Amino acid sequence: MEDIYNKISKGKAGEKRFFLGNEAIVRGALESGVDVYTYYPGTPSSEVGEIFMDIFKKVGMKWVESSINEKVAIEVAGAAYARGATTMVGMKNVGLNVASDPLFALATTRPNNKNSAMVILVADDPQQHSSAVEMDSRNYLKIFKIPALEPSNPQECLEFTKEAFKISRELKLPVILRTVTMVSHARSNVRIGEIKQSEIESEFDLSKEVNVALRIYSLEMKKNHIYNRMNRALELSENSSLNRIENGKAKNEYELGIITSGVSYSYVHEALNFLEMEAPTLKIGFINPLPEKLIVEFIKQYKEVFIVEENDAYLETQVLAMAHKNSLKVKIHGKDPFSYSKEKSLLPFVGELNPTKVALALMKITRLEPKMDFKQIDEKKYDVMARKPILCAGCPHRTTGYTLQKAVKKIKSRTGKKVYFYQDIGCYTLLALPPFDFANVKYCMGSSIALAQGVAQTSESLNVAIIGDGTFYHSGIPALLNGIYNKAPILVLILDNGWIGMTGQQPNPGSDTRYYKEGSYKKNIILEELLEGTGAHVNVIKYYENNDENYFTKLKDLIYQIGLDVLENRNLHVIVIKNECIQKIIKRQAPAIRYVDNELCNNCGICYSQFLCPAIDEKENVAFIDSNICLGCGICEEICPNNAINREELE
Amino acid sequence: MSLDNYTIVISGLGGQGLIRLIQILGNALMINGYEVITSETHGLSQRGGKVTCFLRFGSKVNAPIPMIGTADMIIALEESSILDALKYAKPNKSTKLVISSYEKQILGIEYPSLKYILDILFEISNNIYILPLTDIAVKHTGNIKTMNSVLLGYILKFLPLNKKDLEQFLSYNFSGKTLEMNLKAFNEGLKLK
Repeated sequence: MEDIYNKISKGKAGEKRFFLGNEAIVRGALESGVDVYTYYPGTPSSEVGEIFMDIFKKVGMKWVESSINEKVAIEVAGAAYARGATTMVGMKNVGLNVASDPLFALATTRPNNKNSAMVILVADDPQQHSSAVEMDSRNYLKIFKIPALEPSNPQECLEFTKEAFKISRELKLPVILRTVTMVSHARSNVRIGEIKQSEIESEFDLSKEVNVALRIYSLEMKKNHIYNRMNRALELSENSSLNRIENGKAKNEYELGIITSGVSYSYVHEALNFLEMEAPTLKIGFINPLPEKLIVEFIKQYKEVFIVEENDAYLETQVLAMAHKNSLKVKIHGKDPFSYSKEKSLLPFVGELNPTKVALALMKITRLEPKMDFKQIDEKKYDVMARKPILCAGCPHRTTGYTLQKAVKKIKSRTGKKVYFYQDIGCYTLLALPPFDFANVKYCMGSSIALAQGVAQTSESLNVAIIGDGTFYHSGIPALLNGIYNKAPILVLILDNGWIGMTGQQPNPGSDTRYYKEGSYKKNIILEELLEGTGAHVNVIKYYENNDENYFTKLKDLIYQIGLDVLENRNLHVIVIKNECIQKIIKRQAPAIRYVDNELCNNCGICYSQFLCPAIDEKENVAFIDSNICLGCGICEEICPNNAINREELE
Repeated sequence: MSLDNYTIVISGLGGQGLIRLIQILGNALMINGYEVITSETHGLSQRGGKVTCFLRFGSKVNAPIPMIGTADMIIALEESSILDALKYAKPNKSTKLVISSYEKQILGIEYPSLKYILDILFEISNNIYILPLTDIAVKHTGNIKTMNSVLLGYILKFLPLNKKDLEQFLSYNFSGKTLEMNLKAFNEGLKLK
């Protein structure tokens, strides 16, 4: 098996690797002498942090951490940047919202140390493949006023990362490296360069005049930020090879030029080929500040310009303004961003772009008809299976959901009160889907606990917040303290599976890392002890460590009793349900697979139609456990009313 | 054999090993001198939900997503999943459809009948290969998860690759007993008519 350390950090300049976009980013950072990487995992950015965590000691980096949240990640790396480290921070798009507060100040500061550099990887997720909202992070560039680069494939991921470090080191500004899912998670041939050793110095300067966000220093720093450093950034952008005109001499009868960036560039290429059409294309890699001169010189030559970009009209609004400022009479096609009109928009504001959408838009502009009638293919519908994402076999959240459903039913019938659920961000979000339907309001990371308070403080209902341990540490703690001091009668269920499960089981402050590499330099915080100190009523229930046979009944009774106390005595309760993520368990020990005793099974269906374990199906009128899917959680053994499920296979 | 501008669409369910499959194929194609690009879906969307991946190779770098109506081969790791990817098939019926006969049922939803699927497929393509990949995997290795190695063995004849290329990258991806099982499955795939 190939080891990730060898794959990423070995190899001579000029060799080719088959890299994921995110792997190419790691390589690019190593080729820039990166000292520090801090991150909060979030799809599609997570692999970068995972790889750094794995290799950082071996490659001799100063520090890598999976931080508690993105704000903290920016701050840890920010001070390291101030003291002269070459730093990188990673997050997904919505992570930038969390990190935005310190980033405003950081963008204005101007470290005095030669090697200070900071690149911020922000990975957007158009189409919400794995996100709660679709968000175009490019809009932040205008308020932060910091340079940004956008690669369109894995090779560019490596090159643009290096360029980003170079720019940051020169300008003393953080530089955003913006990717999307189809770039971070594309895999391609990547030509590697030479690894660069760290140049961090042990002596450094932390003068307050350039590092302290305080009015007497900040206004001066801000002037320097905008009129000096961003002005210089514009000069770099105007002359950057990352902004280039492709096929500049191409002629088409429509006198049409195209402006695009990132992955959309590859879709333009594909669509033009398909339509057998040529068009000069300005590909923008340096996306902030935009090269005004270059853009104006480009669009001047055409009667019509088509701006191709995913999600928001970030390029288009600026190009429209530039055309106006320079009194250009050019027709600009794109999303018609001021209209908010689906009909007037040639490309969608919502969802991922693809070559087909670009080709359809080009056909509208040019009235070209391709040889292939692909509109007909596009409209053809088949009766496909509706498949929703499901929790893994053996996932402890399923047990919690199943138990919670029973307990809530009992509470409702006893009190006649309504019960509402507030969800958070994690695998357990899937409990919002049938048959559980545990979701009434849900926003973003850490919001469930405060959402529950809004209804609890204004009604007589039972309000249950469902949050995972990683999310609780990330941003749930302030909301819990808010609830305690405002005496909010809510029930908080912390589903403590010990890891940041959804993004690949990265550690959080509560993770028990003793079996892993990070165990040697991490201390795990005991969640119960932390909660005890807050004054909340806390109950803790564990399953796996004890393999408690009555776990299911105990949890149900606990939720029932506590639910009643919240309703009757208006107390705030926290139940910590401690069951480790099954994906992490099976990396340490072989699962104890369960089997059905066909003699005892009367096909009641509880295990496969109510508990909905994906490893269990009905086969020849009995329940059947697929041993290739079963991960040995053993809950089916307990919920089976006929004791028909066992650990041993009967011959 | 040499192919240019070749597009493979792989459709299946999260957890079926699509990513490893395209990693092995992509790597093998790269060392044979091709420019390769693939795209994949990670994270929440992979857990039991539908997954569509693309693998494209040739003399130039392509977009990670192809145009509809342009794929050369569509692979479905689960029978009904073929229906999710048919819009990528070429209208001239030349696209190869390679389908695992494995059916993953969903409780309470009627699984499309084989007749329904076949009627559609015959309209879409003249090159349909429905293969009992999971049966072969279980029969020869005792593990359903080696089905992708059976598939790799089978599709080798359509691709500009050698047996040893794929064996090499199987060994980069698996070790010990798992590797042994996958190599065995791969060889069973090679034998498949």
